[in-house]
Amino acid sequence: MRTIIAGLLAATIAVPVSAQALRPDQQAFRGLYKELIETNTTVSAGSCTLAAERMATRLKAAGFADADVRLFNGPKDRPQDGGLVATLAGKDPKARAILLLAHIDVVEAKRADWERDPFTLIEEGGWFYGRGTSDDKAQAAIFTDTLIRLKAAGKPLKRTLKLALTCGEESPGVFNGAEWLMTEHKDWIDAEFALNEGGIGVSDDKGNPLRLSFQAGEKVYQDFRLEARNPGGHSSQPRPDNAIYQLTGGLNRLAATEFPVQFTDASRAYFTAMAAQVGGGVGAAMRALLANPADANANAIVSRDPNWHSMLRTTCVATRLDAGHANNALAQRASANINCRMFPGDSLEKVRGQIIAAVADPGLMLITDAEVSPTPPPPPLTAAIYDPAVALAKKHFPGVPLLPTMVTGATDGRFLSAGGIPTYGVPGMVADKTLNNVHGLNERISVTNLYTTRDYLFDLINAYAAK
Amino acid sequence: MRALLLAATLLSATAAEAQYVSQQPGEAQFRALYKEMVETDTSVTTGSCTAAAEKLAVRFKAAGFGDADITQFSVPEFPKDGGIVVHLKGSDPKVKPMLLLGHLDVVAAKPEDWTRSPFKLIEEDGYFYGRGTFDDKAQASIWADLLIRMKAGKAPKRTIKLALTCGEETTYAFNGADWLAKNRPELIMAEFALNEGGGGRNGPDGKPQGLAVQVGEKTVQNFWLEATNPGGHSSVPRPDNAITDLTTAVVAVNRHEFPVQFTDTTRTYFSTLAKVMPDPVGPAMARLLTNPNDAEANRIVSMDPTNHSVLRTTCVTTLLEAGHAENALAQRARANVNCRMFPGTDPNALKADLEKVIGNPKVTISLKPPIRPVAKPTPMNPAIIGPMQTIAAKHFPGVPMLAMMSTGATDAIFITPIGIPVYGAPGTMIDADGNGIHGLNERISVRSLMQGRDYLSDLVAVLANPK
Repeated sequence: MRTIIAGLLAATIAVPVSAQALRPDQQAFRGLYKELIETNTTVSAGSCTLAAERMATRLKAAGFADADVRLFNGPKDRPQDGGLVATLAGKDPKARAILLLAHIDVVEAKRADWERDPFTLIEEGGWFYGRGTSDDKAQAAIFTDTLIRLKAAGKPLKRTLKLALTCGEESPGVFNGAEWLMTEHKDWIDAEFALNEGGIGVSDDKGNPLRLSFQAGEKVYQDFRLEARNPGGHSSQPRPDNAIYQLTGGLNRLAATEFPVQFTDASRAYFTAMAAQVGGGVGAAMRALLANPADANANAIVSRDPNWHSMLRTTCVATRLDAGHANNALAQRASANINCRMFPGDSLEKVRGQIIAAVADPGLMLITDAEVSPTPPPPPLTAAIYDPAVALAKKHFPGVPLLPTMVTGATDGRFLSAGGIPTYGVPGMVADKTLNNVHGLNERISVTNLYTTRDYLFDLINAYAAK
Repeated sequence: MRALLLAATLLSATAAEAQYVSQQPGEAQFRALYKEMVETDTSVTTGSCTAAAEKLAVRFKAAGFGDADITQFSVPEFPKDGGIVVHLKGSDPKVKPMLLLGHLDVVAAKPEDWTRSPFKLIEEDGYFYGRGTFDDKAQASIWADLLIRMKAGKAPKRTIKLALTCGEETTYAFNGADWLAKNRPELIMAEFALNEGGGGRNGPDGKPQGLAVQVGEKTVQNFWLEATNPGGHSSVPRPDNAITDLTTAVVAVNRHEFPVQFTDTTRTYFSTLAKVMPDPVGPAMARLLTNPNDAEANRIVSMDPTNHSVLRTTCVTTLLEAGHAENALAQRARANVNCRMFPGTDPNALKADLEKVIGNPKVTISLKPPIRPVAKPTPMNPAIIGPMQTIAAKHFPGVPMLAMMSTGATDAIFITPIGIPVYGAPGTMIDADGNGIHGLNERISVRSLMQGRDYLSDLVAVLANPK
């Protein structure tokens, strides 16, 4: 209650300049967003369950029946890792539903390290500051607010809309709500496709959008362990067989191996658009590579940029080494962690085979004892999905290009896509070169970009749900 | 030692012998001293060399040594790592003193891992069991017992100095031999020293098979190789990578062969072996002695890891550590390179060699303490080697003797640089299984200990009374 009273005081006594210009619906949204930011949902001290309850209260106040707002707790030892699923029934029972997915948990934030209180929404210089202002409470607030407005409007859309607010995206080792829903209650969230985070575009230093991103497909995170064993012995008499040399030899061959170039619908569209934008030799190389992924010259030119290099293929890089037990003893064990970002749709077995071929030493063991990620195919980038996003972007973000992307990181979309619900990261939000300090100190989002994205997504969801 | 074993097998024709009977008097007294030494825990973790030195001082005083002849020493920082120096005055001041060197400390031994108590002298089936029964309390006890017995007899021409010190088994605690060489050189100054490191080997029947005199040894020097990088997110690997820089350097070090070198000792060693080793090894040794650059001869001789190590400086990577998280590009990657430097090698020159071999300024190389003095090759002095052989013919008839350069390191590395050539005395035989030295259930056959005592007593008597 204290937060709500504080919020009311702030609203009545010290209304900021920008807030005065807000439309009434934006004022209401700001309240919801503020409540979500100011509810601590870190894994250490927060509660997603409380945040979900607060959103449920708002949904019910807007007219949702109890039966249409399903609250759930986390597991027995983590009841605070709960969430909600809300349903707004469409008028055509034959039309398949659309799922709006957002996570309400946030990365840790220490008050002592931040300039401002991370769990108070602070508007300053055109930015909203606070943990979760970008990742992912912006989209969680927009989706919840969208359902509230549609309910209040009272005009059912053709399709049913489902909203899932979940916990654990930032700490999959503890409990992941999206994964749990897919495994235990797929019927609650089943849909033809899902809209999710991950479509973050690019802004200038002031938060003005330069480029929008539509995310269709993400690479899959997978750790492997490469290991050599040897009887060892005294280091005063080295022998030709040596665990460390076996491992480092294999790692060098792996580092020298480039995985083959691949495209998804999204990365194909991305490089097509990017070729036009960058032009020159690089643009020509992109076009050549699209025409022939085996074009070595084109590959060399485009892959010079580490981000493009990573978008074009599976990457596997050694991130840790651990070998030996004493200065003066030949190593008995030498191992490396190989961190792979597998191209969408590539199976674990395929990548395993590629690594084994690259290290080219049957004496080296490749062990998969880390958590195994699902490897869904990339969601298809159909005209029905992509065209409305482009058309509406022209209206809300005039002059800002929209590009499809494939992300090299990972979101909860991997669980849904693997379970048969193609998941897209919708455009709108943009981040500056600091990535809006997501996961870091003083996380923020441009105030204008947040309100514009809200308007854009409201229209986009309406467009999808009408067809 | 493998080469030695083979040579010895070819040469020796030892007849079966009955139970060994000591030739020297005072076996009971010797056994009491030896038992007291073994039963005084002198491991760096739970023991005290100072206590062992104290017990020996009591015995020396009882034998008639004056306070001026006994120096007990320790430093305040390591009060338990003390040692003792005892002088037996010679009759001829024109003859230079000789030094008997031994170490009191032992490698740690966990009673729960041993079959018998490691700090109880247990005689069983012709063996003495206990930590230090071989390394190095066998020789240390033989030296102390010998000096006590000589005190009762006619003074030798030379002054005999005995130094029993602590810290030979560690590189991080206090080393008594090092301390004496640097702080009290006058106490130990001598024309030459007899030390551990020689000995010899018993055959499978437990009878002496080959004798060894150690003349010179390689020096240990550890280096850190380190590569650093700004790192970054592992989803976007970059061409520059700390782990790849390091593993490339490690492979380069592995591929590098240091040039073939000989000392007086190894020249004698290989000359002896060249005559007895079968084709193609024997002839290859002969060719290599004539021309150290004979690549084919080098290849054949170096197939044996012991020969390989005796012929050159070796450097082997023994530890790897890199990275701080599975999903982050490594910011730091390090390797320990353990080098065994050929006598006369300057560690800074070796560092320059490694820099050239690696050829990547991004990989820094640093000398890791302790930085040892440059080991000077010890001459094959006939005045010392001659009596060793003559007396061996009496005690070990038909058993060949080989001069060896050790690829490991003893306290000789501290004593040699102040101008005292150190010889690892023959006489105390090791079994083919290594006697559990540094390991579990360390042991020595009663016969080897008593026969070693007889041989060394005669050897010291001759060396202390030059004609």
